[in-house]
Amino acid sequence: MNIKKQFKEGLITNNPVLVQLIGMCATMAITTTLFNGVGMGISVLIILTCCNVVVSAIRKIIPDEIRLAIFVVVIAGFVTIVDLLLQAYIPALSDALGVFIPLIVVNCIIIGRAEAFCQKNTVGASFFDGIFQGLGYTLVLVAMCVIREFIGSGRFGGGLIDITNGLRFTLDGTGAGIQLFPSEYGAGIMNLPFGGFITLGLLIAAMQYALKRSAKKREEKEKAAKEVEE
Amino acid sequence: MKIFKLSAVLLIICAIVAGILGGVNYITADKIAEQQAIKTAKAYAAVLESENYADVEFDKESFPTIDNIAEADNGKGYVVMTSFSGAQGKITMAVGVDKELKCTGISITKHSETSGLGANAASAAEVGVNFRSQFVGEGSDIAITKAGGNIEIIAGATITTQAIADAVAVAITAVEAIL
Amino acid sequence: MLTNIISISLGAILINNFIFSQFLGCCPFLGCSSKVDTAAGMGLAVVFVMGLASAICWVIDVYILVPLGLAFLETLAFILVIASLVQFVEMFLKKMVPSLYSALGIYLPLITTNCAVLGVVLLNVQNNYNFIESVVYGITGGLGFMLAIVLFASVRERVDFADYPECFEGFPICLVSAALLALAFMGFSGMKIF
Repeated sequence: MNIKKQFKEGLITNNPVLVQLIGMCATMAITTTLFNGVGMGISVLIILTCCNVVVSAIRKIIPDEIRLAIFVVVIAGFVTIVDLLLQAYIPALSDALGVFIPLIVVNCIIIGRAEAFCQKNTVGASFFDGIFQGLGYTLVLVAMCVIREFIGSGRFGGGLIDITNGLRFTLDGTGAGIQLFPSEYGAGIMNLPFGGFITLGLLIAAMQYALKRSAKKREEKEKAAKEVEE
Repeated sequence: MKIFKLSAVLLIICAIVAGILGGVNYITADKIAEQQAIKTAKAYAAVLESENYADVEFDKESFPTIDNIAEADNGKGYVVMTSFSGAQGKITMAVGVDKELKCTGISITKHSETSGLGANAASAAEVGVNFRSQFVGEGSDIAITKAGGNIEIIAGATITTQAIADAVAVAITAVEAIL
Repeated sequence: MLTNIISISLGAILINNFIFSQFLGCCPFLGCSSKVDTAAGMGLAVVFVMGLASAICWVIDVYILVPLGLAFLETLAFILVIASLVQFVEMFLKKMVPSLYSALGIYLPLITTNCAVLGVVLLNVQNNYNFIESVVYGITGGLGFMLAIVLFASVRERVDFADYPECFEGFPICLVSAALLALAFMGFSGMKIF
């Protein structure tokens, strides 16, 4: 397992949301401002990496029959730690994400990676898998936020970026973002649940289109190579 | 026998995790309490300035949406903490009410309104500041423009605006009841 | 009291529908909705588990965790309760009500990772609901889920015959149809009862 291949898998060819189609609830629910998206993505990245490392470290000593129960306990532990730390140090993010932070426990990405990857691989490989899968997840969240925010309120980087006194990153979620066109002209519907469903649907469709095309191209190349050989 | 062994393993792991969580909770508990206190203090100061506030008794039965009423030490009036349903979920808000039973300001501390629409009511941007400033000086007869009052609604968020206006009216009535 | 319960019920079923407005339980919603009868089975199982989980978690939270100052263990305790509850319900149904078991059986294990179930117990705590309100919120939240998944399954049965671009095959076309249903449910938003 090399790192470069894992990187490509996590971000593109085996992206958790766009290809494995898991962890969609939060993806659609909280992607209304960039602040939420980045915050959620990083929280999941941290939890996923920690869980991956622990699960693969204890994979040989836990009894097989109750492994899922143990995974759930470990995941719930890390989620609660992140939840408490957010409440203490970034309360704005904790308020904005609300119930979706504890709900990371049942986010299929984490238990899915524990079951499918960390059980069979070394601690090192699991660590990088956590980081790259987490990055892949964050990337999708950020893409959703950017699209929904731009069409919905004509804004970029709501909550995270403030430009009133020069460019500044606000970690308390107060930044107004960069207004690209007046918010009255935005299609407010993109901020509603409708926008979440349709943006994710179109993103997955685009991903399927791209993957199919690249597969087709590869096939043609192989075919051409074969013909040359013959 | 096997089942006992399995339960023992699970129990040990649960105990370890719970122990670690206890440690983290011990470290963060004070900080979380502090953050909450800061948030409440900020909301209080934003709606009615005073050095100190003292909680006062009120009739919870008649005003179920009101969480707390505090009197400002400088005699300017009261701060009412209220949580009520908006368009999407609960909104928690501080309302300042002076002795003439006029609103002195509102400050939204927690909400889950739609971003870009109802959420503008709580935003730090101009649209939010302008929206909230409309409530200053309103009495318990507060109403939105459609109902003949002075409160301009936020575009696309009639329900949020209506809910906030109603909550302010309730807060003023509650203060009237304890005066 | 009664008005409170009615407003919680209508809120959970229509106004703040678990799927279309809170995005809780989207995975089984998209995964188990290709046929109306499977969807109904899944919905029924969710109503059942959500009601039970709300009741048990409320008792655990109010009588054990909060008095001992262990509120920070809520997430951990609730997920364990839900997982063992699902196991227990499965065993119970298998022995006592085999007909119901054969109808719900295959959906039960999937419910553990349904975020609507963990979501409803966490929301019960967050909203400070009392016992009756919690149970009502659990059951009606489940009913809202069932309504959404059954409606959606009947839409999907027709979508199968539709002619859409190839790259929309599978999930994307489902998400687009779900978006349109969400739009319909938006009509309920902000509806005030009394």
